Amino acid sequence: MSVESPGRYVGGEKNQIIKPIDDSIVRTVFCFPDVYEIGMSNLALQILYKVLNGPEWSSCERAFSPWPDMDKKMRENNIPLYSLETRSPLNEFDVIAFSLGYEMCFTNVLQMLDLGGVPLLAKDRKDTDPIVVAGGPVTCNIEPMADFFDAAFLGEGEEVDLEFTKVIKEYKDAGKKDRKALLRKLADIEGVYVPSLYEPKFEGGRFTGYDIKDNAPSSVRKRIIKDLDSVEYPLSPVIPNNNVVHDRAYLELFRGCIRGCRFCQAGYLYRPVREKSMKTLCEQGIAIMNNTGYDELGILSLSTSDYTELGALTDGLLEVFNKQHSSLSLPSLRIDNFALDLMEKASQTRKTGLTFAPEAGTQRLRDVINKGINEEDIMSSLELAFKGGWSTVKLYFMLGLPTETMEDVEGIANLAIKIEKLYFDTMRSIGAKPRKPEITVSTSMFIPKPFTPFQWEDQNTEEQFLQKQTTIRNMLKKHRNIRYIWHDVKTSCWEGIYARGDRRLCPVILEGYKRGSIFDAWDQFFDYEMWTGILKDNGLSWEDYTQGRTVDDPLPWDNIDVGVRKEFLKREREKAYNEQVTPNCRQQCSGCGATCYKAGICP
Amino acid sequence: MNAQEQLREMTRKAHQHEYVCRGLFERKGALSYIGHLDLKAVFERALRRAGLPILYSQGFNPRPMLVFALPLGVGINTEGDWLDVSMEVPVDADEYVRRINEELPDGLRVIRAVSIDEPKNSIMSVVTCASYRIEAKGVTQAVLDLFGQKEIITKKKSKGREVEVDIRPLLIKPLTSSSPDCAEYMCYAGSKQNLRPDVLLKALCEAGFSRAEADEAVITRLELYGGEYPDLSAIEGLT
Repeated sequence: MSVESPGRYVGGEKNQIIKPIDDSIVRTVFCFPDVYEIGMSNLALQILYKVLNGPEWSSCERAFSPWPDMDKKMRENNIPLYSLETRSPLNEFDVIAFSLGYEMCFTNVLQMLDLGGVPLLAKDRKDTDPIVVAGGPVTCNIEPMADFFDAAFLGEGEEVDLEFTKVIKEYKDAGKKDRKALLRKLADIEGVYVPSLYEPKFEGGRFTGYDIKDNAPSSVRKRIIKDLDSVEYPLSPVIPNNNVVHDRAYLELFRGCIRGCRFCQAGYLYRPVREKSMKTLCEQGIAIMNNTGYDELGILSLSTSDYTELGALTDGLLEVFNKQHSSLSLPSLRIDNFALDLMEKASQTRKTGLTFAPEAGTQRLRDVINKGINEEDIMSSLELAFKGGWSTVKLYFMLGLPTETMEDVEGIANLAIKIEKLYFDTMRSIGAKPRKPEITVSTSMFIPKPFTPFQWEDQNTEEQFLQKQTTIRNMLKKHRNIRYIWHDVKTSCWEGIYARGDRRLCPVILEGYKRGSIFDAWDQFFDYEMWTGILKDNGLSWEDYTQGRTVDDPLPWDNIDVGVRKEFLKREREKAYNEQVTPNCRQQCSGCGATCYKAGICP
Repeated sequence: MNAQEQLREMTRKAHQHEYVCRGLFERKGALSYIGHLDLKAVFERALRRAGLPILYSQGFNPRPMLVFALPLGVGINTEGDWLDVSMEVPVDADEYVRRINEELPDGLRVIRAVSIDEPKNSIMSVVTCASYRIEAKGVTQAVLDLFGQKEIITKKKSKGREVEVDIRPLLIKPLTSSSPDCAEYMCYAGSKQNLRPDVLLKALCEAGFSRAEADEAVITRLELYGGEYPDLSAIEGLT
């Protein structure tokens, strides 16, 4: 075989849906701008694939980014990027829908369009060309990619996708005439943003607002599904034949998160919190396992422990799974007595590692970010865990959080050292022979993201991040039981540009792609020096995007409404500076604005 | 005894009986592009979906007891491979074929099966020979030429080092061919001595066959045999 993992490019999986190619059917190709094994682990893909293949008049196929070896071969031999189901080149579809889960996949969008024979710039597309759209969390600020998309979906796609497709059907039935009128019409669908109707203005190098054209809505509100029990959920998902990143079935417990950690974009974007009922989840979990034959079910949410009936749900599922040699995977658990018990039951004999995400090294900084976890909690649950036979602990932290001092950075190493000591003390106190504990400290870089209370903050520079990493490394050098893992600073620094970027970045991304950059999310392919050069050539700088702003500065994402009000974010920012915590949504409503959806937990 | 055999042994001891469904299967199309472990997982999931009473290994991480007669390389079709699946209770062979075929993805199909009550030997250990078909422009003569040589020295990766080996003794005989672009041959196969078709293709290229044609070649495993050449016997009867 001349390319790596050829199974990625051939489809043929159980439960794939192949519909006829017919003029009466709107054809969508769902594009995931990363490699097959990552894309097929994505739940949104499985959900929307089912939704869009639902009505007779709509079909949905899949395409993924070809890995660099395949990319090269396709270009050499003029092979267009095709869909897995019917091997149709992308330019034969009516709609090309990208799922954007992280910013660093931007050049892969251009790679897929280019290989698919689709004009890269929206303005160059003709009436009969495909409509290119984006969905996923990144669309809350799609400006850096605005020139390449005809439209973007805000929020959850189950309902809006078919409303959108219906309008495309009318357009197709009428012979695909007047693309501009079509785009204006699409902008009237709630949750659909058409970038070409919003022209950004800049003065003295700063963004000052939008000129809204053609009476388009002044802001676009994200869509949510009010009742998760009644919405389509893939009980027979497409089952990849080759080994994908998460090789298991999925069950989504709820959307949103009650916690409100101030750095976490997902925590604000997916509000309000909406749970599925335990009855639905039990039925769905058992059905999925029977339909797929997987031996593991992963339960998904932003914070598993916050599901109100977690105990009853896991008991119900485990009772069935234990008879079937199936297991339950429980990510995002808050480690406490209950969780330890649950983990013991779920994995029966195997003791997997424990994961904690204190995010910051001192209580002061944890209060700043509203991470409702304190050192005593960590220590007392770890003591329990160590007594119970666990000896592997993973700790996740962030560097560069607002108000962070070197004391906070040193606090990260100190906490790990305390945990190491706790392990040996605990073993001694119960008279057990200590094993070699494995304590892993992992730091990532804090990137200020839109729609969080930290959206106006300064981002640390490469030098600052490196200095902090070095400090921790030096402090942990002599501790043989502690492993320190740090992330590449350069990709994170660059991600910060996209996160709070504006439309001036479109030509930068286009140029980067033209110079051969793809798979930027993969450190080995990311060329920081080249990108910085292109930024400079375009009269821009890293600081333009990563320096702090004042709360009164117009922001490129001000025309997007995710339900959380700016006033609330400002209030949270002040509270952060005052080291004040905000109660979680279940304790008390903090008035973020998401009540406008009248759904889920909101009063 | 390797790890897999050890697990088998443990499981045997824990269970009174092992009922094996031995199935002849074919694969083609998209399913030919996956590796051996992925193929095993595809079968495992299909068996679980079919609700068949598969037997699990003992130990911390119980796995369904599946044994392939000979691993299939990435990109290779088959018309004649064998897979043993152990069951907790006897399963009628025809019912096994019907139920698993309902669940297998397109491109994978069990052609027929036999039920074996407590096999004495692992199916892996009974395979000795295999026949293959290679479809590529001009390949028939190239393969015949190879059979005409006294020795065929080619480089092979072994334990991280490249070593020179003579693969001529592994070739048994060319089979009759109806086309200049379709070679069929028989060679030694199995755990003792084995000639992988990609190694043969490499040797063909080293002898002057076109690399481009070799890259596009369609390779199909036709049949597996047990016994000692020329006294070959069918796999299904070797328990």
